Amino acid sequence: MRKRGGLIATAILLVLLLFVPQIAPRIHLAISVCTEVLLFAMAAMAVNLLIGYTGVLPFGNAAFFGLGAYGAGLTIEYWHAGFLSSIGLGVLASLIGALAIGPFLLRRRGIYFALLMIAFGQVFYFIAYRFTDITGGEDGMNFSRPAVEWLGWQLKDENFYYAMLAFFVVVGIVFYILVRSPFGRSLLAIKENETRARYLGLNTDRFIFIALLISAAIEGLAGACYGLSIMFAYPLMLDWHNSGNIVLMTILGGSGTILGPFLGALIFVIGNDILSTAVPWWQIPLGALFVVCVLGFPKGIVGTFLDLVERRRSGFSYEAREPEFQSTSLPKGETTP
Amino acid sequence: MNDIIFQAEGISKNFGGVRAVENVSLQIEAGSIHAIIGPNGAGKSTLFNALSGYYRPDAGKVTFKGCDITHAPVYKRIEMGMGRTFQTSSIFPNLSVYDNLLIGLESAASLSYRIRPIRAPLRKTIEQKLERLLDFVNLRGSAYRPVAELAHGSQRLCEIAMSLSTDPTLVMLDEPMAGLAHAETARIMDVIRKLHSELGLTVVFVEHNMRVVLSLAQRIMVLDRGKMLAEGTPAEISENAAVRDAYIGKEVAERV
Repeated sequence: MRKRGGLIATAILLVLLLFVPQIAPRIHLAISVCTEVLLFAMAAMAVNLLIGYTGVLPFGNAAFFGLGAYGAGLTIEYWHAGFLSSIGLGVLASLIGALAIGPFLLRRRGIYFALLMIAFGQVFYFIAYRFTDITGGEDGMNFSRPAVEWLGWQLKDENFYYAMLAFFVVVGIVFYILVRSPFGRSLLAIKENETRARYLGLNTDRFIFIALLISAAIEGLAGACYGLSIMFAYPLMLDWHNSGNIVLMTILGGSGTILGPFLGALIFVIGNDILSTAVPWWQIPLGALFVVCVLGFPKGIVGTFLDLVERRRSGFSYEAREPEFQSTSLPKGETTP
Repeated sequence: MNDIIFQAEGISKNFGGVRAVENVSLQIEAGSIHAIIGPNGAGKSTLFNALSGYYRPDAGKVTFKGCDITHAPVYKRIEMGMGRTFQTSSIFPNLSVYDNLLIGLESAASLSYRIRPIRAPLRKTIEQKLERLLDFVNLRGSAYRPVAELAHGSQRLCEIAMSLSTDPTLVMLDEPMAGLAHAETARIMDVIRKLHSELGLTVVFVEHNMRVVLSLAQRIMVLDRGKMLAEGTPAEISENAAVRDAYIGKEVAERV
């Protein structure tokens, strides 16, 4: 039943997403903001793979986002890469970044993993910030979006959203298959209890490394697409503030759930957009929301909702009974050891 | 006499200045039940952790099935046929008993990296093995409940079943009866007997309760303050004067 509920929710969401270009103008929402929601949802999904399904804290994840954006931008600028190849090279840049820092990150767990990752992320930030000749430094770099024409179909500003939606759906399907596979179950085992996972024969370092690479690839894709959507790459994309925002979206929506990160990104990006134009202190309500969420609903919006549904249902269902203890073989005179 | 399946020579482990285990050697025959016993702080668990790869020993050599595994990573040891439980049940608390066991079974069948779904015939073999494990520890009724919701004794049984899921030949149980009530202790003892008699496994377990050990084990090693005090059959151990004085106490020993 939970599975069917999820399917229905996903179907409704997909239909809504298809009609966003028609709906958005009526509620005074720019379509570019909707594209942003999709791409940050993709990044949050990547973070969710690590936080919600593997149990490591990727607090420097924006490095992968930024590497994707810079990878796409630099290859367009210097090598005149096409649309898809610039995205592919952005993903590759992000993967190379993950390959480089992964072996160091794997030496630690928990909060030290998170701190190491922030530090490595900042290294990429400062590289983008300092190498002004190539990256444009603090000002960032503008680049043009390569023209696309497939069988008479042209990529324009109006249909760019649909191109991104296609990427988003593909990533969503891949993510769903991944977390429900034996591989996903092994990752979940590491999140639940890494020592036990090791004593079941899992090479946990290798699993975490693979999860990190997959996450980096997804986030690199999100970053490359985001770069192409605003035709701009800037150092703050790589910064730990951006990492924090993406982690916040994931936890707000519900880490360890499939639709949670999307909901988190939706609230965060649109909330940001509306609030920042309305009040100058827009970060305060956002921070308050996050505090309430972490203290009151650590499973996020979707996770808490699923718990409520489950509890209501289990009230009616048959509860399996514990098997009876049989006491036959204890030596005489034995009491509690 | 059976073959020696597991052997440790001169194992030492220090924590800072504390010598938790000092120059302990151990030989385990295939198909036997071997107990490591000693009072609190004797170094039982430390020795156990050094033998099973949780710690690296500071000195000594561990051999399993003829291979030197002193520095082998844990997953290699499991592949070779070692399984273990922990003093505080080490389980996947938020997953169901079913999933807890499935993860180990998939690992043993080299399916852990698989992304495509598992085909029906293979899935069926795995499910059959899973049901056999559930029956072995009598947890079929709780198969779909999160392990965290189960009673302490059932969690322990689930952990034992998990350690069996990887098809081990040697099972190491760290204080399997710790913190359990009378009836639950009996249940675990039954399971340990079955591990030996029905599955033909070699069992090593740590326990501080002398009565439990004397009634279960075929060979016993007594540790005291990090050193080996005595080693032998239950009869030899209960006759051993040093053990009697240091550990059991005269009155109890006479009754046994």
